[in-house]
Amino acid sequence: MKLQYTIEAFGEHAIIINWEKKIDEVLHNEVLKMNYVVTERFKDEIIETVPTYHSLAIYLKNDIETIDFIKKLEREDINKGSKISTKKYVFTIPVCYTNKYGLDIKEVAYKNKISVKELIELHTKPLYKIYFLGFLPGFPYLGGLDSKIHTPRKILPRKIIEKGSVAIGGSQTGIYTVNSPGGWNIIGKTPLDFFTVNKPPYSLFQAGDYIKFKAVTIKEFNRILLAIKKREYKITKEVYND
Amino acid sequence: MIKVISTGLYTTFQDLGRFKYRNLGVPLSGAMDQYSARLANRLVGNKPNATLLEITLVGPVLKFDVATQIAITGAGFSPTLNNVEIPLNTKVNVLENNILKFGLSAFGVRAYISIPGGFIAEEVMGSTSQYSGITKNKTLGKEDIFFIKSDIEKSITTASVKVSKSKFNDCEITVFKGPDFYLLPKEFQDKISHIELVVNSQSNRMAYMLESLENVSATEIITAPVQPGTVQLTPSGQCIVLMRDAQTTGGYARILQLTDQAMDLLSQKRSGEKIKFLLK
Repeated sequence: MKLQYTIEAFGEHAIIINWEKKIDEVLHNEVLKMNYVVTERFKDEIIETVPTYHSLAIYLKNDIETIDFIKKLEREDINKGSKISTKKYVFTIPVCYTNKYGLDIKEVAYKNKISVKELIELHTKPLYKIYFLGFLPGFPYLGGLDSKIHTPRKILPRKIIEKGSVAIGGSQTGIYTVNSPGGWNIIGKTPLDFFTVNKPPYSLFQAGDYIKFKAVTIKEFNRILLAIKKREYKITKEVYND
Repeated sequence: MIKVISTGLYTTFQDLGRFKYRNLGVPLSGAMDQYSARLANRLVGNKPNATLLEITLVGPVLKFDVATQIAITGAGFSPTLNNVEIPLNTKVNVLENNILKFGLSAFGVRAYISIPGGFIAEEVMGSTSQYSGITKNKTLGKEDIFFIKSDIEKSITTASVKVSKSKFNDCEITVFKGPDFYLLPKEFQDKISHIELVVNSQSNRMAYMLESLENVSATEIITAPVQPGTVQLTPSGQCIVLMRDAQTTGGYARILQLTDQAMDLLSQKRSGEKIKFLLK
C-alpha cells in the first residue's frame, strides 16, 4: 500500500514531509521507512532528520538549496527498491507501581473508576510502540495506552519529576528519561537508565522499538538498582518480529 | 588562565550548535545571535564553530592571568579592560592581569567574547554549547577557572568591522509560512504583517514569548517536528517563538518560521520591545 504525502519547505534550510494527520502504526511505518531511505540516499545533503507520528523533518546543510532538494525528492520514487533492514527491539521495563513511586496512582485509578490493581494490569498489558523520541533527551512517545486509563494532565505541573518516573498524560504514557518539570500523572518508577551523554548511541530506545512494562515490588526495584550500580544488570531485550 | 570573578546574569559557552541528535530529543542549542558569534570568531582568526562566551543582559567580570587577544561583538555593553573602554567588533590586546567588565547595554541583549583558538570547554555529543542535562554545568559558575590555549600565535594585524545598528534597531521579523499556517483564522492570515507584538519578560534561550492586543488562537496539533525559529500559537492565544534551546517536537500549531537573519535580530530584543512579522 502506498500512502499519500506532501513535501514542503520548513524555513530556509529544512523541509517537512507530511502524511495524513493521524496516529497510526501502518502510516508511521511509512514515516520510518522514508526516514531510513532519505537518510541513506542523501547523506551528503542532510544534517539530520526528525520523524514524528505523521511527519518527517529533514534538516539540510546550509549550502543546499531547499527548493532544489524538494524537486529532487518529488522527481524520484523514493521508496523504489528499498527495504528497511534495521532491527527493532522489544524492551521489558521493570516498573514499581507502589505509592512510594506512583505518586498519583491512587488518584488516576479513582478518576478512571478502577482499582489500582486493575490500573497496573491495564498499563502492563499492551506492547507499546515507540513512535519517536522528543520533549526530553531520550523521551519515548508511546502509542497504545488503553483508553480506560487515559487521564488529563495535572492542573499544576510539578517543578521536578524524577528520572525514571512512568507517567500518564492524556491519551499518552511515557517515561521521564531525565529530571524535568512536568504535568503528567506519575504512576510508578523504573530503576533503569535510558539516556547517557557518555557514549553512543546515547539513547537506549530508537524510534520504531517497542516497550513492555512489567510490575515489580520495591524489593525487586532495589535489587535491580543495586545490580545497575555494580554494572551487573542486563536489560531484557528481544528482537521484534512482525 | 581566566578567572570568573562574577558570572553575570546568564553567561554560557556556545558554539554553533549540537547537530545530529535532534532525533533523540536533544535540543540544537548554539549561539542565539549567530551573526555576532561568527563575527567574533572571525575577528580573532577562529573557525566559525569555535567556542565563545555568550553573555545576556548583565555581563561577567573576568580576570586574565595571561596576555591574549579578545573580540567582543553583539550588544553594546560598553566593555572595559582595567576600567578603560574598549571598542566592539574589534580585536583587542589583553595584558596579563587585565580585568574585563561590562556596563549596562545601550542596545541589544546578547554579546559574544572570543579568544584566539576558542575557549576550552567541556565537549558533549560534538558540541560545547551548554545545556542543562547534557553538559555538566548549564552556565558559567562563580570562581570557575578556565584555561586558554597558550600556543596560539597572536597576530599583530588589526581587525575591526563596522556593524550596522539595524541589526539591533530593526523591528521587522521576516518569516515564512509554517506547516500549520492554515490553522490561523483567515482574517489573521491576511493581516499577520500588521499586528504589533511585544516581547514578554519570560523570554529566554528556549523561547521568546510575544504578546499582542489581538485575540487569536489555534487548536493543538498532533505532536510534530519544531525547530529554532518556529512560531507557535497556543489554544489560549500565547504566541511563542522557539529559540536555540527549544525542544525538537511540539504540539502547538506552527504558524510561521523565522529566517536565520530574523532569529539573530529577535535574539537581541529585550522585554517590552515591539516587533512585527514580515511574511515572505
